[in-house]
Amino acid sequence: MTILKHELKMNLKMLLIWTVCVGASCLGCILLFNGLKESMEEMALAYAQMGTFSTALGLDKMNVSTMEGFYATEVAIIFAIGGGMFAAMTGVMALSKEEEGHTAEFLYTLPLRRFAIVLWKYLSVAVLIFLFNVGCICLCLAGFVLAGEAPSGKELALFHGAQFFMHLETGSICFLISACCKRKQTGAALGFAVLLYVVDLMCRVVPDIENLKYVTPYYFSNAADIFVQEKVDGSMLFIAVCVTILASGLAVVIYQKRDLS
Amino acid sequence: MERKNAIEIKDLTKTYGKKRGVTHISLSVEEGDIFGFLGPNGAGKSTTIRSMLGLLRFQEGEVRILQSDAVKQQTEVLRQVGYMPSETMFYPTMKAKDVIRFAAKVRNLDCTREAERLCRILEVDGEKKIEELSLGNRKKISIVCAMQHNPRLLIFDEPTSGLDPLMQEAFFQLLMEYNKQGCTCFLSSHVLSEVESYCKNAAIIKEGKIIKTDTVSNLSKSNMRRVFVRANGQEKEFVYTGDMKELIHKLDGMEVEDVLIREPSLEELFMHYYE
Repeated sequence: MTILKHELKMNLKMLLIWTVCVGASCLGCILLFNGLKESMEEMALAYAQMGTFSTALGLDKMNVSTMEGFYATEVAIIFAIGGGMFAAMTGVMALSKEEEGHTAEFLYTLPLRRFAIVLWKYLSVAVLIFLFNVGCICLCLAGFVLAGEAPSGKELALFHGAQFFMHLETGSICFLISACCKRKQTGAALGFAVLLYVVDLMCRVVPDIENLKYVTPYYFSNAADIFVQEKVDGSMLFIAVCVTILASGLAVVIYQKRDLS
Repeated sequence: MERKNAIEIKDLTKTYGKKRGVTHISLSVEEGDIFGFLGPNGAGKSTTIRSMLGLLRFQEGEVRILQSDAVKQQTEVLRQVGYMPSETMFYPTMKAKDVIRFAAKVRNLDCTREAERLCRILEVDGEKKIEELSLGNRKKISIVCAMQHNPRLLIFDEPTSGLDPLMQEAFFQLLMEYNKQGCTCFLSSHVLSEVESYCKNAAIIKEGKIIKTDTVSNLSKSNMRRVFVRANGQEKEFVYTGDMKELIHKLDGMEVEDVLIREPSLEELFMHYYE
């Protein structure tokens, strides 16, 4: 528990910055909706006829002139990419920062099993992602209250639940990268999060690479799909959970066997 | 009464891929001893210590610390050990007092009184952030973290580098104090005077191998002699470690004007081992 508290304390500033930046961007976007509402009606028609572009962004399924459609196609993208980047960064720094900062000798010579330290560190990544999600959701809800309009509660809950799992999967994969590296691979992690989003866009418009939908967690957590289908694809979610468990488990195994500098 | 070994290393081998680490290291340190571990930079001192503490996974050998297996019972071992690494670094944004408290908290101990006493002796400013501190001041925090829980074994890797002479003196006074209370001390250093002044036994490591283990007083004794000769108008100074009769026989054939044969200093003796 001491390690968890320590990790949360050390990452508090980063958590606040990212939550405020991403959450405030979402809030700002929601507040823009009322002002854009009228012009959105004309834009919705145009968007729906933009072929693959519309398909990639889910504009062929949702009406952007409604709060639900606007949230699913505009706000959700900010939240998904911002959250993915935060999760990737948190995961990739968790273990490797100790070696890069030369604090590994201090931490790993305290009377704790390496297994326990890695487990607490992983838990701290999960808690940070959870707190980020809660913070952003609160800001979004505040936006709905101020805008006087909100999407359906059920779909909203499903979308944010799926987003949490997506962020956790991204964070877990980056946690595995962290277990293998002696230096923080922050740039690579941010790039990885963006790449996963691009893969999602690509596999939606290019039929030949459709199977990549099983690779990117952005696919099962896509807002437009969830708002239209009113459910999260169970098999996709199962894959995400498996990848999360596998990545975090591998990280624990690898890190226990590694020499620490 | 026979004393138990606080450290027992048998045949320890650690390699980094094709690079040499340490090879077939064997040494034992009795409980209550202050043991010096000498060697030049890159000899394998830190590799040995890190293997002892479980930071490195070694390929061969066995390490027992305070009669426990250092690998299988690592947590139990670390609970009774205080360690100060050579490159002392903590979390930059934390205050010194928070680092000290964190180290105690992980051990589930309240070490406030001892930590305060150590901070007073070593003049540690607990309110300062780590990023504001010099190497010497970080070393002092590391000493507090290593000692505050009254460990049975203290392991110090190059403890005095970065400390000013007054703090070095304060550190060794603390070391002696803990040793008097029964704490075993393992001191890795390349400062010979430290080992000569404070250690009872020592081992010398060179290129990953232990080349000598003995009492410090025995290590100082040797048949090595520094010879100064002035003959045929020329002066020569060299180290001689062979049979004295042979040396005299060789000198006999020269037109010796002056000769001085003396015992080497401890410094010279260790340099001889290092070379």
